[in-house]
Amino acid sequence: MTAVPALSAPSAFNRVWNVVRLHMISKNTFIVIPWLILFGAMAVSLIIPLLLAFNGVPREEFEKGAVNSWAVLSPMWYLCAVAVLAIAQFFPFSLGFGVTRRDFYLGTSLVFLMSSVPTAAVLATLGALETATDGWGLGARMYTALFFDQGSWIANFFIFAVIQLGILFVGAAIATVYMRWRMWGMLVFWLGAVVAIVLALSAITLTDSWPVVGETLANLGVIGIFAWTLVPVALAGFAGFFILRRATPKN
Amino acid sequence: MSTIIEARNLTKRFGSFTAIDDVSFTLEENRIYGLLGRNGAGKTTIMQLLTGQDFATNGSVSVYGQSPVENSKVLSNVSFIKESQKYPDAIRAKHVFAAAPNFYGNWNAEVAEELIAEFRIPLNRDIKKLSRGQVSAVGVVVGLASRAPITFFDEPYLGLDAVARQLFYDRLLEDYALFPRTVILSTHLIDEVSDLLEHVILVDEGRILLDTPAEELRGSASTVVGKRMDVAAFVEGREIIHTDGIGGLASVTITGQLSPAERAAATAAGLELAPVSLQQLVVRLSSRENTEGTEL
Repeated sequence: MTAVPALSAPSAFNRVWNVVRLHMISKNTFIVIPWLILFGAMAVSLIIPLLLAFNGVPREEFEKGAVNSWAVLSPMWYLCAVAVLAIAQFFPFSLGFGVTRRDFYLGTSLVFLMSSVPTAAVLATLGALETATDGWGLGARMYTALFFDQGSWIANFFIFAVIQLGILFVGAAIATVYMRWRMWGMLVFWLGAVVAIVLALSAITLTDSWPVVGETLANLGVIGIFAWTLVPVALAGFAGFFILRRATPKN
Repeated sequence: MSTIIEARNLTKRFGSFTAIDDVSFTLEENRIYGLLGRNGAGKTTIMQLLTGQDFATNGSVSVYGQSPVENSKVLSNVSFIKESQKYPDAIRAKHVFAAAPNFYGNWNAEVAEELIAEFRIPLNRDIKKLSRGQVSAVGVVVGLASRAPITFFDEPYLGLDAVARQLFYDRLLEDYALFPRTVILSTHLIDEVSDLLEHVILVDEGRILLDTPAEELRGSASTVVGKRMDVAAFVEGREIIHTDGIGGLASVTITGQLSPAERAAATAAGLELAPVSLQQLVVRLSSRENTEGTEL
């Protein structure tokens, strides 16, 4: 005679949601630290124009340079670590709670979406404020620097969202390679990546295609390029799922 | 008695290394099992296969008649506490206890609170800053308070002091009496748990050496000590699992129950009979390869 399960499993949504709650259990990782980094960078971005103005540097001069500010990208480096740890540390942790690999990956993906989309909205809104206040009254540029100045809120929102999703899903996919194949997986993956990049660059150079590449990118425009970026991001998302399905939480 | 877990011809290879070698066994509902064996014998691998954390190379595992792999119906009934459990760096003990009720339908907050106090777990310190014993205590609390119908403890008390270990044994028995469940406990501290275990599975080099009710094992072997010649005469025809000796004295461990008549005969021959504890029995059986062929 076979025993019957005493407890029934929670619904599919609740199981995935439990993983989301597990990721969010310490508020620091996804909420406190990224915003601390961002507002730290913002403080610096506002202090510098004040200092320069104090030193008599004309505002137009400063504004030219501020367009190249990477300040808004500062939390993105931290996101790389978040993505890797979300897999490397929470996969063994979650499986310890009897979570299936499937539910873990879906929950983790949902966390990625839930953190990047609202963040992108806030960043785009801060960008709009920056434009409206003429650089916070100081001519400072942070949220509208680099290519984050696409004119409309929705376009900026889209770019911010794609960048974050890209970092999170690609970082997570690389971490799943490690979970599945460990050191050898990493070696093969990075060697493969380097070889692929070198081959692509050589092919473009040898066929004299750089003008074509440049023209294509120019035709696509910033929005078009980011829209196309979604394709590899989605591929990384799917790859991570299938790689993790056969991974084991061992040391 | 109903079967809750069944392994059939279970094999797990890591490259050319065979960790689990064609193993079959069944576990019954609501019993306490001891999964014993030396380091690297395959205990953890067996538990990982039974909980779907690892994939079998060959053979099958069924829990409630189903494969546990990626099976939330099964896994919602399982609590697997292992010595090697990794916790995220950013996590504190209080986070673990806050998350656990989401995953265990039978979670009992009262039990958890009592145990946290008894084990003196610092709730507000990062887990990576806890001592080895304190990290183990976190796992033990989760394992006991989860009251999962199937609870695996894999070396759950590494680094725990004697007081804390005794506390674990006492609370396990106490809670088991209130809420019977299937417990599979792997451990090196066999003497400490021998009274706790109802059934013993002894693994060595990926194979099962013993799969026997603990009651049967107690008194299933004896050590005969005396003059070499007398001992040799007494143990002739019996299964010898260990021999030892200095000078003219010999100490031989034999299996099988001894009848009162045999005991009397031994005493008459000037031999001493000593019972073999579960731990000694396990040591003898697991190290047999080394002693086989030793001439008496």
